Amino acid sequence: MQSVACPTCGAEVSFRSPALPVRVCDYCRTLVVRYSQSAQAMGEAAVLPFDISPIQIGTEGHCFDQSFQIIGRVRWGWTDGAWNEWLMLLADGSHAWLGEAMGQFMALREVELGGSQARVLRRLMNGTNVLPGESGTIAGHNYEVADIRTIHCLGCEGELPFTAPSGWEALSVDFRNADGRCASFQKDAHGPTLYVGHYVTLTALEPRHLRPLPGWSLPVYAG
Amino acid sequence: MPAEDSSVRTLSCPACGGTIAMRAAGYTVTLACEYCGTLIDATDPDARIITRYQEMQASLAIPLGTRGTLRGVEWEAIGWLQRSDGWAIWDEYLLFNPYAGYRWLIAQNGQWSLGLMLTVMPRRDGGDQIYKGRRFNSFYSGNTARVNRVAGEFYWRVKIGEEVRASDYVRPGHMLSLEQDDRETSWTISEFLTGREIRAAFDVDPPPGWLPGMTPLAHQPSPYARRLKSWWPVAALAVVALLLLLSLFGRTMQPQSFGFQVTPDGPSISQTFGPIVLPLGRQAMTVETLTSNVEQGWVDIDVSFVNRKTQDSYDAYALNEHYSGRDSDGYWSEGSRSQTLKVASLPAGTYDLVVDAQAHHWGSSGNWAWDSSSSTYRTEGLPPVDVSLSVARGARFASNFWLAVLLILVPPVLMLVLHIMFDNARLAQKDGATADGDDWLRGLETP
Repeated sequence: MQSVACPTCGAEVSFRSPALPVRVCDYCRTLVVRYSQSAQAMGEAAVLPFDISPIQIGTEGHCFDQSFQIIGRVRWGWTDGAWNEWLMLLADGSHAWLGEAMGQFMALREVELGGSQARVLRRLMNGTNVLPGESGTIAGHNYEVADIRTIHCLGCEGELPFTAPSGWEALSVDFRNADGRCASFQKDAHGPTLYVGHYVTLTALEPRHLRPLPGWSLPVYAG
Repeated sequence: MPAEDSSVRTLSCPACGGTIAMRAAGYTVTLACEYCGTLIDATDPDARIITRYQEMQASLAIPLGTRGTLRGVEWEAIGWLQRSDGWAIWDEYLLFNPYAGYRWLIAQNGQWSLGLMLTVMPRRDGGDQIYKGRRFNSFYSGNTARVNRVAGEFYWRVKIGEEVRASDYVRPGHMLSLEQDDRETSWTISEFLTGREIRAAFDVDPPPGWLPGMTPLAHQPSPYARRLKSWWPVAALAVVALLLLLSLFGRTMQPQSFGFQVTPDGPSISQTFGPIVLPLGRQAMTVETLTSNVEQGWVDIDVSFVNRKTQDSYDAYALNEHYSGRDSDGYWSEGSRSQTLKVASLPAGTYDLVVDAQAHHWGSSGNWAWDSSSSTYRTEGLPPVDVSLSVARGARFASNFWLAVLLILVPPVLMLVLHIMFDNARLAQKDGATADGDDWLRGLETP
């Protein structure tokens, strides 16, 4: 763990993952970007609106055959809703995302967008319109487009692999298949990224340190 | 309410000013005011009005905010939709638990189903869909489902009049539904809930039982399929019990045999045999009388079971006869040399069998001679007639057995008929072909 002083308020900002350059200051919500040993303020992250997610920073569990800890979150919104992308720091030092939308969870890892790609992905990269139901092969599996939406960053907290300025917009396309696998394609001004993974249930993550929610009893498996 | 103490957030309705509770903050996009029915945009910090909707549902079967435990998870009803597709109108309640996500409670014709949005897509096979190795038959396709009324919270922007294309695939007890619009496709599996389950969870009115003439839900399991299946062990048990009774009362005693001789046209012979012990009351006895060598004559046989204690007598009578000859048509014969007598309902006790038999001869082919010992004429040269009796406990009234078997079979046959009526009514709503034997059998499968 590495700690730096927040360039804005001076509070101690600690980085749990050596690979992640961005951290939101817990006190003043400054986006702190780390360059080797020095830190730089990159503007302020929006205050996250109240939500009733069962996950919080510090939630631990098991995913991708190893243990993980939640260290960051980006909240995305679109015209008709919002969802969370929780950043998992895995035991091997790599990171992955836990997408949380409509009470369902997706465990996703970034894959390289190189070499030959499915036609549906190439069309997305070229900015051509695609429709739900179109299919294509991604990383060896056949998927179908489940939904397509333009999204914007609502806010973030904790550690992140990128700066997440407010107003940041992207195109997001979700894929699903018959085995419970899922994929997510995102494209913003900096270029496209692709994530693949699978749907998980909260139970299957064997979570600990879930967020206690007043009025609701924690599930027995989380005890 | 301080923010830290509750998972519920409150806001003021921009239309009526009432305080509305938001139970799934962060997920909820649309909120319908519980007082005036106005649809509110929950993503907007200023709570913008989407639609004013004055006609408010007065009494929902499950008031929003009600909690109930279904399948071990506590759920809170947070939203309500009324939808229709031109044929049917149904209600959908959105259930929420922050640790378990969302479920749907779907109510139609007073019957309830629990719906779960799928993350795994079913696999298409011909016109059917395969989900988790189970086949779902195409039932409705391409219907348009429309939102008529709405209240509470939703994770998407519900609009009155919002339409999706819906297709349904069915196996008894379950329905797989595909809903599509231009931006999204989603699959939901709904499971038919028993009346007991839904009542225990949310205290709703009991679902009505099916009667001929009513239209069941597409995925409603036939109530007769379960009863029919649970009837078979009962029927099998009844048949076993029947066979047991039959063997107990019918065939446990070894038949006892007695025999004597009577001289044709001679004196009546009276013989007493016994004892015959009947340990159980209300027994039937069978007596077989056989006169194997009676010829051109007959034997009158009177049989009496006489109770040694009470001297009560239970009587039966047999006439064994046999005649034969030769005429222009050739050889002929008539009469029967054996009879089976049944004496029903003898009380328990020890009995003697008293038999009186007298043989007669037809015609005069014998020689008549004076017998000084008996002071009567007797025919000579005619052999004595052997009379043998065989006494068995329990008349095997086989007809009674078959009648009982038939009675045991009446309920399952009736249930089968009702099951076929139910499935015909259910499948009459299906797109395409009418129901046949395959469909009825499929309706019997375990949900």
